[in-house]
Amino acid sequence: MDLRDKTGLLIDDIPEMRSAVRIQLADAGLEKCDTARNVKEAIDRLAASRYDLIVCDYNLGQGADGQQFLELVRRKQTLPLATAFLMITGETGYEQVSTAAEYSPDDYLLKPFTSETLRTRLERILEKKGALRPIYKHMGERGDRMAALAACDEMLAGKTRYSLDILRLKGELLLAMKRGQEALALYEDVLQQRSTPWAEVGKARALAAAGNVAEAKAGLRRALEAYPNYLAAYDSLAGLLEKTDKAAAQQVVEQALKVAPSTQRQRRIGGLALDNKDFGRAEEAFKRTVEKDRTGFFKSHDDYAGLAKSCSEQGKTQEALAAVKGMGVHFQRTPELAARQAAVESQVHTKAGNADAAQAALAKAMAVMQESDLDPTTALEIAQACFAGGHADDAKRIIRTVAEDHHENDQVFARAQSVFAAAGLSDEGTVFLDATRKRMIKLNNDAVGLAKAGELDQAIAMLQEAADRLHNNAQVSINAALALLMHLQKNGTDAGRLEQAQRYLLQARRANAEHPKLAEVEAFYRKLAPPDAETAA
Amino acid sequence: MDSYVAAAIHDAKNALHALDAWLAEARRECAAPALAQAQAVAGRVSAQLVELLALYRADQGTLRLAVADHFVDDFIADIMEELGPAPAHIAVATDFAAATAIGAWAFDAYQVKFVLLDALRNALRHATGRVRFAVAAEPGGGIRFTVADDGPGFPDEVLAGAAAAMTETSSGLGLLFARLIAAHHATPAGHRGRIELANAGGASFSLVLP
Repeated sequence: MDLRDKTGLLIDDIPEMRSAVRIQLADAGLEKCDTARNVKEAIDRLAASRYDLIVCDYNLGQGADGQQFLELVRRKQTLPLATAFLMITGETGYEQVSTAAEYSPDDYLLKPFTSETLRTRLERILEKKGALRPIYKHMGERGDRMAALAACDEMLAGKTRYSLDILRLKGELLLAMKRGQEALALYEDVLQQRSTPWAEVGKARALAAAGNVAEAKAGLRRALEAYPNYLAAYDSLAGLLEKTDKAAAQQVVEQALKVAPSTQRQRRIGGLALDNKDFGRAEEAFKRTVEKDRTGFFKSHDDYAGLAKSCSEQGKTQEALAAVKGMGVHFQRTPELAARQAAVESQVHTKAGNADAAQAALAKAMAVMQESDLDPTTALEIAQACFAGGHADDAKRIIRTVAEDHHENDQVFARAQSVFAAAGLSDEGTVFLDATRKRMIKLNNDAVGLAKAGELDQAIAMLQEAADRLHNNAQVSINAALALLMHLQKNGTDAGRLEQAQRYLLQARRANAEHPKLAEVEAFYRKLAPPDAETAA
Repeated sequence: MDSYVAAAIHDAKNALHALDAWLAEARRECAAPALAQAQAVAGRVSAQLVELLALYRADQGTLRLAVADHFVDDFIADIMEELGPAPAHIAVATDFAAATAIGAWAFDAYQVKFVLLDALRNALRHATGRVRFAVAAEPGGGIRFTVADDGPGFPDEVLAGAAAAMTETSSGLGLLFARLIAAHHATPAGHRGRIELANAGGASFSLVLP
């Protein structure tokens, strides 16, 4: 493979290392290579140019590391899957880099290394990326999972060196498309031939998706005995335990943290410890997330909110208020920030017995919510402040809206349940949230039933009312578009309805571009829309 | 403590890498056999440092392998590259036909590479004229790497299973490391890695990974 026509980005905070590796890259044939000194520069570079390859040192200074950077850019999809990522590390970072977290580098290389070794590794990962390109091009935010799956099958039908990699991608796709049984069969097939950590974890996830949670947990525990540094197994196990036994979940994340300390896991420990009323541990964990990362790229409002609450629960009111203030210093001024700060401040004051200050802060948070469409985390924080301040009806009203708007999102529901739990209303929360979810499922089912029975106008009216109210509910938006399109199919073209359908599809895509039903209805739209119509996506 | 030991070893490895580069340059200027020997020693010490770190971590209970899929043919190519040319009087026969058929296998390539390099360097040291390096699929699952030579074979106490039999030419640490890395390779179904030693016209070392 000729590396001369490839473009690369080298990220290293130490100037001498940067120039040394830059020379080695040129020796290896990669001459077109930009450099970045830190996370910020790297993110700017990624926004401006497209690279075939990223070469990143694990240690990036300022409390940031290459793994955090990789997770950030892959999660935000600023780094396309087709771009290869090579992590360079010393003995100290090796254990962390080689732990196979959710987002792993394509390869890692231990220092010191020769230019020849570097060239061999680069060629291998670029060759693999090239081979898998037909699949990658259908994955990602604007991707089409059906097409990606078809590409997997096509490649598997031929002769390929990368069949295991393709099976791994196919398994992930099937799980994301909620085709758990097929995913389970795939993983079992792989495991018949060989034991490999990703297939063990995939199998457990497929079992859990099929409702067999006990077997999934047992499988993950066995996987962790065999592969004790496989972080994805800890994360999956903690995710399953979190639903029923948060103390056990906290223990599993503590173990993962020993394997590889990361901001994200510190945050998770903090959240679980708060729920488990282990406030000292929560404070310690959130303090680390706040203090370790001096770049600011990996912090979240949650860290400061968590720190404030864990301090407040221990009677450390001044520290708690300082954390609320700190939140304002470290983030861009947005309605979410203002509302979150006010809602947390209100809870701190309530806990300290300052009813007037609590009420004033809560009023401020509510005022922001009146004006803006807040994200679910912020809205739920306000609900928690309402409960704390004795305004249960307001709290429930907020939670109802959030839950209706996100009825397919387990994370939002788990958070909402935590809000009830913090108010000492766990049982009521379970019933309330369950009823909300059932109501939304019924609404969708009833409307689709009406549409299928030919009562299209009625179905459209029901779904439009809901979709216009619940902008973040992808399923409702998709069904509203579907009903409109069925109307068009039955009664002929109607520019107004077509435009409405397109608008709902866009709303659905914004809410959840990866919704399993979206691609199908978008295809239906394209079939009915005239060639010059606006695209759905 | 772990990270300090790792950092110290990292620094020492960097120094050895620099030494290796100087020796390579010296060899370009003057092809003295002693320089080649010195370069080989630098490589060996670097490998021993990695073994030392693994032994330390095993003792502390913090040794965790990084098991992931690796193409067996690529892995072998890396080992041969790192091993470098054999001494002129020794013929190295390789049998990697099975590697392509096996495709990728899940193991800790970093640690296993050191186990096999150690075995190969030992074989080259003890061989009189031949070394054989082969990979095969293990019946019933697993892969087997074999390194054999035509030298005097393992001493009896090593064959009898003494963990760290001290001999004049070896501390036995290499075998201890190999056993450790083999045993840390496990599957959720309960299969474990192992090493097998035999004398058959010389020493034969096998590493079997589940």
